[in-house]
Amino acid sequence: MANPRFLVVDDFSTMRRIVRNLLKESGFADADEAEDGVVALQKLRASNFDFVVSDINMPNMNGFQLLAEIKKDEKLKHIPVLMVTAEARKEDIVLAAQQGAAGYIVKPFTKATLEDKVIHILKKAGLA
Amino acid sequence: MEPSASAHNAGDAASPDAAPDVHHKIGQLTRQLHDALQELGLAEKLQGTAGELPDAKSRLSYIARLTGEAAEKVLNRVDQAKTQHDHIGAQTRHMIALLVADPVAAVAKGHIMNFLTDLEKANSEVDQHLTEIMMAQDFHDLTGQVIARVVNLATVIEDQLVELLIQTAPPELQSRVSPPASAAAPLSVDDVVLSGPVVDASQSTDVVTSQSQVDDLLASLGF
Repeated sequence: MANPRFLVVDDFSTMRRIVRNLLKESGFADADEAEDGVVALQKLRASNFDFVVSDINMPNMNGFQLLAEIKKDEKLKHIPVLMVTAEARKEDIVLAAQQGAAGYIVKPFTKATLEDKVIHILKKAGLA
Repeated sequence: MEPSASAHNAGDAASPDAAPDVHHKIGQLTRQLHDALQELGLAEKLQGTAGELPDAKSRLSYIARLTGEAAEKVLNRVDQAKTQHDHIGAQTRHMIALLVADPVAAVAKGHIMNFLTDLEKANSEVDQHLTEIMMAQDFHDLTGQVIARVVNLATVIEDQLVELLIQTAPPELQSRVSPPASAAAPLSVDDVVLSGPVVDASQSTDVVTSQSQVDDLLASLGF
């Protein structure tokens, strides 16, 4: 897929802008954003996305709950979800992996880390 | 204690003879407060909250450190970008002078090509500085999460103190105030399951401190 479409989910607008800008610098300009899991699910069900980059600690619906909702939805479960979060506990990382997250990045992170993970996941999913 | 008696005793406190009496009364008040807290079952609750305060202090230190580092990083990158910008400005003026003097020689001697190569390199480096300046703004997210936790702790303490105030008020005043909505079920910092940014990794062994540790952990699980 030449131009995958991303959904960036984070309750902090600063972080949404940073992630979107980094994705754009890495050649992935097609991205939308959502401020929590509830809005993200609405957008995912209303439109087509190929990749989700999600925070965990968010109001209304956190990243784990969003991940669970995506993975139990037949129409959405194929979408890779990369967790980008400040939650650095090992149990959170293990839980994310067990729930089907495609990757896990701990904040603060570098541009290279995000780019490497995204490309690796896209290749693994046959999207690049 | 009657108000008039209190005022009278306060006046006595100024004289050395009154010191033992004042000390005795302070002791009585301390005992009364201690007993009241025990009877109300609030002592342990407040003690628990007090235990959170060192954590709040380290969280505030974390905010100060992170914002300081971000400011330092931005200023350093701006300094570097400005130096490169000034260099390109000087090079451009020099190139204009060469072109005006002898355009053919400027091309033939490679001045133009060298300048364009320098320009391309500088452009790439300035772009890296701008990316780093953007990345430095991630402190907003990290400190925001920590601030939310400290505010939550302050709310817990406030609720508990209001509850204590109401329960220790005279009966005639108690009927005029109702406990705050949150007093019935005080907020607890434990209500938040997610722990947010790690403010002091040396204090815990169950957290990762680098992306490579995350990758190693996931790899060990077969992911």
